[in-house]
Amino acid sequence: MSVSSRLEARHLFKVFGRRPDEAVERLRRGADREDLRAEGTTAAVIDASFTVEPGQIFVVMGLSGSGKSTLLRMLNGLLEPTAGTVSFDGQDLTALSDRELREVRSKKISMVFQHFALFPHRSVRENAAYGLEVQGVPRAERERRADEALALCGLAGWENSWPDELSGGMQQRVGLARALATDADLLLMDESFSALDPLIRRDMQDQLLQLQKTLKKTIVFITHDLNEAMRLGDRIAVMRAGRIVQIGTAEDILLRPADDYVASFTQDVDRSRVLTAEAVMDREVRGDEADCGCDTATPQTPFTELCALSARIPHPVAVLDENREVVGVVRRQRLVGFLGDGETTPVSCDAPRDKGGEKEVARA
Amino acid sequence: MPRIPLGDWVNSTVDWLLDHMAWLFDFCKAVFTGFYDGINAVLQAPQPLLLAGIFAVLAWWLRGTLAGLLAFAGFAFIDSMGLWSNAMVTLSLVLVATIIALVISVPVGIWAARSDRVSSLVRPVLDFMQTLPAMVYLIPAILFFGTGAPAGIVATLIFALAPGVRMTELGIRQVDKELVEAAEAFGTTPRNTLLRVQLPLALPTVMAGVNQVIMLGLSMAAIAGMVGTGGLGGDVNEAIGQLNVGLGAESGVAIVILAIYLDRMTSALGTEVSPLGRRAAAKARAAAKGLRIWSYRPQPQIAVIGVVILALVSGGLGILGGNGDSSTTASDGGDVGKGKKITIGYIPWDEGVASTFLWKEILERRGYEVKVQQFEAGPLYTALAQGNIDFQTDAWLPVTHEPYWKKYGKKLEDLGSWYGPTSLELTVPAYLNDVDSLEDLKGKASLFGGKITGIESSAGMMGLLKSKVLKDYGLDKEYEVVDSSTPAMLAELKRAYSRKEPIVVTLWSPHWAYSDYELKKLKDPKGSWGTGDGLHTLARKGFSSDDPVVSGWLKNFRMSEKQLTSLEAEINKAGKGRQQDAVRTWLKDNPEVVDKLAPIPAGSSAKGADDRGTADAVRVE
Repeated sequence: MSVSSRLEARHLFKVFGRRPDEAVERLRRGADREDLRAEGTTAAVIDASFTVEPGQIFVVMGLSGSGKSTLLRMLNGLLEPTAGTVSFDGQDLTALSDRELREVRSKKISMVFQHFALFPHRSVRENAAYGLEVQGVPRAERERRADEALALCGLAGWENSWPDELSGGMQQRVGLARALATDADLLLMDESFSALDPLIRRDMQDQLLQLQKTLKKTIVFITHDLNEAMRLGDRIAVMRAGRIVQIGTAEDILLRPADDYVASFTQDVDRSRVLTAEAVMDREVRGDEADCGCDTATPQTPFTELCALSARIPHPVAVLDENREVVGVVRRQRLVGFLGDGETTPVSCDAPRDKGGEKEVARA
Repeated sequence: MPRIPLGDWVNSTVDWLLDHMAWLFDFCKAVFTGFYDGINAVLQAPQPLLLAGIFAVLAWWLRGTLAGLLAFAGFAFIDSMGLWSNAMVTLSLVLVATIIALVISVPVGIWAARSDRVSSLVRPVLDFMQTLPAMVYLIPAILFFGTGAPAGIVATLIFALAPGVRMTELGIRQVDKELVEAAEAFGTTPRNTLLRVQLPLALPTVMAGVNQVIMLGLSMAAIAGMVGTGGLGGDVNEAIGQLNVGLGAESGVAIVILAIYLDRMTSALGTEVSPLGRRAAAKARAAAKGLRIWSYRPQPQIAVIGVVILALVSGGLGILGGNGDSSTTASDGGDVGKGKKITIGYIPWDEGVASTFLWKEILERRGYEVKVQQFEAGPLYTALAQGNIDFQTDAWLPVTHEPYWKKYGKKLEDLGSWYGPTSLELTVPAYLNDVDSLEDLKGKASLFGGKITGIESSAGMMGLLKSKVLKDYGLDKEYEVVDSSTPAMLAELKRAYSRKEPIVVTLWSPHWAYSDYELKKLKDPKGSWGTGDGLHTLARKGFSSDDPVVSGWLKNFRMSEKQLTSLEAEINKAGKGRQQDAVRTWLKDNPEVVDKLAPIPAGSSAKGADDRGTADAVRVE
């Protein structure tokens, strides 16, 4: 994937209401969102800048009203930014005319919606082929490509059904197939899995990750669910009240929250699903920790697997990189600590018989 | 509070429009008329039962066997009541009005759906159009568009536009925003978003709007009958005017049959044209059990073939039977008119109907092509002043129709009175022995419940009664004059008469009630009612120079009370639609009348030709 298909947003502002440009000036000078609201002007997005590398999944996380949907709609020009620029594939989208922008939307950017937004008067195949129809692709070809996209999303055999005959999960697969059929490089997903029930949501997340392994699209994914963000996101932006408060990997967010607001979010997160050996290992190593015959881990080994390993072997688990060099060790006590709440230093105990950490594991 | 002269403004606006925008109205009128004439010609051409068959096949295709059979039965019923031709006139009117309404309302609805500003601007205009009483804009409609179909179409249009606009706007606005956004996100142009996403999804609602447009159009048909559009609306008006409950019911039922048919067909068509509707209908059919034959629907191809065959058959019959059908002019005298066209307007009052159809028959015998158009009084004068009709015979002058004469007199020619004097009076049934004069009413208020049953409060005689007559006889404290309407007054009289109850009503002579019931005109020794009117013949300005022969005949037109009442009685006996037959029957008993009223001028052939030439030249101008 070429570097040119990177997505870059620079100092994006979106203000609804009267005299938006003036409002942007005031925001730049440090005015508060609440000050503007009192005058009936709504600052939906304030000074948002980020870069999404090709093939990355970039998740924007925030509660409702945080401006994440507005931000997403500025990326494909459904909403015109009040200030700032969006560039994709080396092209400044904010400088395009309406017609050029439509052209870009039909060929390079596609979108998946929260409530699927399937056209009820079109069959599943016609829905999947919609983007191609807009591009003016001849019928035979667009139906072939639509069928391929449907098959990719696990819907082979449903082409002639109608949207209302499908379950929610299947409908969203059609939505995904419609977005994939155009071969757009940039996929915008607006809370695409939020309307699905938890099991289906899990399935769809897995399927998206699976597809991404082969398709390597650039994806911007909006969600209000930090668990989903951590599962999917190569990088995560947390939004609050129109501003991006932190951008980083899942671990960054979890282990080094930028402020109390982000930290409060992470409390509910199932850390065991996010953390890997790399995040919990001790980097001070002697180099001979893996010389015994015991199982070892890699930096990518998930937390849960580490726990299982740790339970099987009597000493800290060695972590080896791809060259089979020891890069760290994971101590049982740290694992337990992370399950609780971050990095706490062990304190000594007066009772001579107890060996501290062992007891805690038993309790846990 | 200063008087705000809204009425004056409206008047001057209307005048200005008449002076400066006439070309626009003429253009609209030409479009409407052409459109209407085309559709009407198509609908009137085939044999009624064949056209009923075509309607039935359409119903069969859209709704199934049962609907097809019922449609055929309904239309056959209309034909059997002798209302076919009028029903087709009404149908054409409604179809034309509907099509024009949709051409206007769907784009406006779309515009309103896309712009809140347009929406908030359009809404009050629609409210205004829908609630403004029809009579208020019927008169201006005649001023602008002349009488007959165009005015009727405009009136219907004004009334029926609103649901078309509203439902289109609603339908488009209620399309899921996410779907519209999805279309935009894939780069759809605004035009295609409208055509491929919004309109298809709004279609069921838009079709419900179409349905409403048609229903309102039909309900307007009766009112449009007042401006000479004819059709079932004309029948209804005539029935009301003559208190002919039977005819009223017949034409009412015919309107209902048309309404139900159009309603069911458009709603079925709504399902058929929208993709969502088609799917829902297919599902419902698959789920339905029981006798399939009733809900069986043919393939569209079969329906088309059926319609084509019936249309071909009717077309063939039309060509074969066309010659035999053309009207036979009974020219027992000289052919003075040589096919020249004359239009007579009339109010559905008995003396008007009688004299109008008498002249229709006479002029046809003299070789004229005569068209009669029925009106309410106001529209009749407007039409005459505009020159849309040539003459009318039912002007009560100088008293009763004085306001009309004041307004339009300059644009009219008075050809003189043919009957008179008329009189206004209070009337009681003959079985009330001791009431003979207005003076006898004093002290008898309890007998009549203190009520005098009147007619429309706007009528000249009502004002006279309240302000002068009652006071002169000292009755104003005792009696209350109940305003109602002419048909209501006559219904009240009929009811009381059949039960031999005491009643006192406002009435006038000549009136058929005097021949149907035994009534007593209360004497007016103080002469409070004043002297009576004469029944005048009024012609449009310039008629007497355009057609000196006919205007000469009309100037010499006289009828005796005996002649008039016997003719009225004959017409009442014959019933609706046979007025002219009744005139012919009456003329057999009074053979001398034709030659007396319309003597063939000496050397008529040469003079007639001359007349025609000059008349044509005038018209061409």
